[in-house]
Amino acid sequence: MSIDETHAKPSTVARTAPAENALAAAAHRRNQLEDVTWRTRLRAFNRRFFRGQPLNVLGVVIVLGFLVLVAIGQPLAEARGSLYAPNTPNIQDKLLGPSSKHWFGTDDLGRDIFSRVISGAKYSLGVAVVILAIAVTLGTVLGAIAGYFGGMVDELLMRLTDMFLAFPALILAIAISATLGPNLRNAVIALSTVFWPWYARLVRGQVLAIKSRDFIEAARSVGVPGGRLLYRHIMPSAISVIVIQMTLDVGYAILATSSLSFIGLGAQPPTPEWGAMISSARAYFREAWWYITFPGLALTITVLGFNLLGDGLRDYFDPRSASK
Amino acid sequence: MILRIIVRRLFFLVFVLFGLSVITFGLSHIIPADPARLMAGPRASKETVDLLREKYGFNDPLLTQYVRYVGDVVRLDFGDSTSSRRSVNEDLRQYLPATIELALAAFMLSVVVGIPLGVLSAVNPNSIWDLIGRLVSITGLAMPSFWLALMLQFAFFAKLGWLPDGQRLPIGVDAPRQITSLYSIDALLAGNLSLFWTVIKHLLMPSVVLAYGSLAVVTRMVRSGMLEVLSQDYVRTARAKGLRQRTVVIRHALKNALLPTITVLGLQVGLLLSGAVLVEIVFSWPGIGRYAVQGVQQFDYNAIMGTTLVIAFVYVIMNLVVDVLYVVVDPRISYA
Repeated sequence: MSIDETHAKPSTVARTAPAENALAAAAHRRNQLEDVTWRTRLRAFNRRFFRGQPLNVLGVVIVLGFLVLVAIGQPLAEARGSLYAPNTPNIQDKLLGPSSKHWFGTDDLGRDIFSRVISGAKYSLGVAVVILAIAVTLGTVLGAIAGYFGGMVDELLMRLTDMFLAFPALILAIAISATLGPNLRNAVIALSTVFWPWYARLVRGQVLAIKSRDFIEAARSVGVPGGRLLYRHIMPSAISVIVIQMTLDVGYAILATSSLSFIGLGAQPPTPEWGAMISSARAYFREAWWYITFPGLALTITVLGFNLLGDGLRDYFDPRSASK
Repeated sequence: MILRIIVRRLFFLVFVLFGLSVITFGLSHIIPADPARLMAGPRASKETVDLLREKYGFNDPLLTQYVRYVGDVVRLDFGDSTSSRRSVNEDLRQYLPATIELALAAFMLSVVVGIPLGVLSAVNPNSIWDLIGRLVSITGLAMPSFWLALMLQFAFFAKLGWLPDGQRLPIGVDAPRQITSLYSIDALLAGNLSLFWTVIKHLLMPSVVLAYGSLAVVTRMVRSGMLEVLSQDYVRTARAKGLRQRTVVIRHALKNALLPTITVLGLQVGLLLSGAVLVEIVFSWPGIGRYAVQGVQQFDYNAIMGTTLVIAFVYVIMNLVVDVLYVVVDPRISYA
């Protein structure tokens, strides 16, 4: 922008047209170049991430399928007619086995399990996204402050982090959400409390490592103020690590939420959250295997997908860990 | 050297325990809008609530309450359970051995199965062992333990009838004379083999389910450690001088590959204790996990906080043990 202006100013009226043409051509070339690098990058990513890596492919396929369910699962279930509405009881059809009519069978209230499973996807993702958003924001801010300023601030914040990490996560989450009261919102609060310290530690490490690099020193020496330095120069380099960790954690967040729901602390019936469904299926495990099986399969496959994707991304961005 | 580390870690331990007490105190005394009302239950009269409030000192300033709380906890007094009408301490003493037995069995399983599986899978890439190893390490972290528990219960109890569906012993069978309170060991000590077999049958499914997650972690660590070590020069040297494959793998490679695994193993003990919560519910296992969840369902805060503190305490101690062990095993590392 600024370059364009300095070039345009001295030009007289007569020369305007060719100069503009030249500028437009330059802009066009630049766009093309960006386009090419973008495309080559994507191609390189495709080559290294997918080719010969069936697990990465599987991970992406599962995650995409899950996202489709999140978007259209519930409307799809409702569109199948009142017989298949995820939350409407249909007592005369209770505990029917899988059939062409009810693919996954029906539950103790005669609701179609397939409809409930596909409607449940959005709860799992929604909860995981909120948990991670809170945890990542809190962890990143505290970790960046600790790593950038160092000294007493660092010591204080890191000991606080260690204290939270000293608790086994599930137990702390149970204690918190039991105290706050059993519902999905409180489960989210509890799990965010458990997840943030990991990000604080991660981001602090990243900031420490990047802080000592030459380009930061250069930026500092031309007078970039501290906050801007942290925000514009250090954090962008730390982003990939955070994103990888987040992908891995989506799976764990989904798993943890459903565990809380299973205990009776997270989502409450009749919400078709997978953990809550398994919890109400428990009483019928002898006569209705399909009731437990399908919500659990959905849960396992989803978590598996995010784990595979996260592992793949980590290996892609950090080849040193590839042997794992 | 090691002493210095221990002292350092003990200082940190004090700090962590202080933090633990602040958190559990906050959870049980500050967050509930009215702890006395919760204790008394929804149907209690206002007088009862006031009485409880007076009895437990909820009218005192927070700092006074906190000091009293810490004083109680230090004397291992977690207050009374509102559901069992006994002291939480007594309850914990009754339920803890069951959880310890379960966690120990799961720990043994994940070591005894996980290490060989990791080694086999690294030494024979693309073999059936490698496939199993990878399958376990991928699914182990993705599968919810409570779901696996229910599925196994369906298969081995409801369909096949091979294993009992839960509890430590069938109803009507007396526990062996208490020596360690771990039924399996007590039964052996009493020389009662049929009782021992019954105990093992009850223990099998819960411990397998509980072990599965940490089995995945252990297998994964051992496998990647072995892969790294096996490609190093000294392993090639050992092979070149004509040592048998078994000697190379066990004496030269495994010894070094196990180092990172030790850290993970120590952490697993703490995780097994907390993971036991979910498994105990499904198998009606009378341990502290089930006790805590029943506490949750009956708003029994002293029970929840007591259990939380005990598990967190074990977890912190295990971390300490791991740190020290790590320095002992690997002389290259120093924290001082």
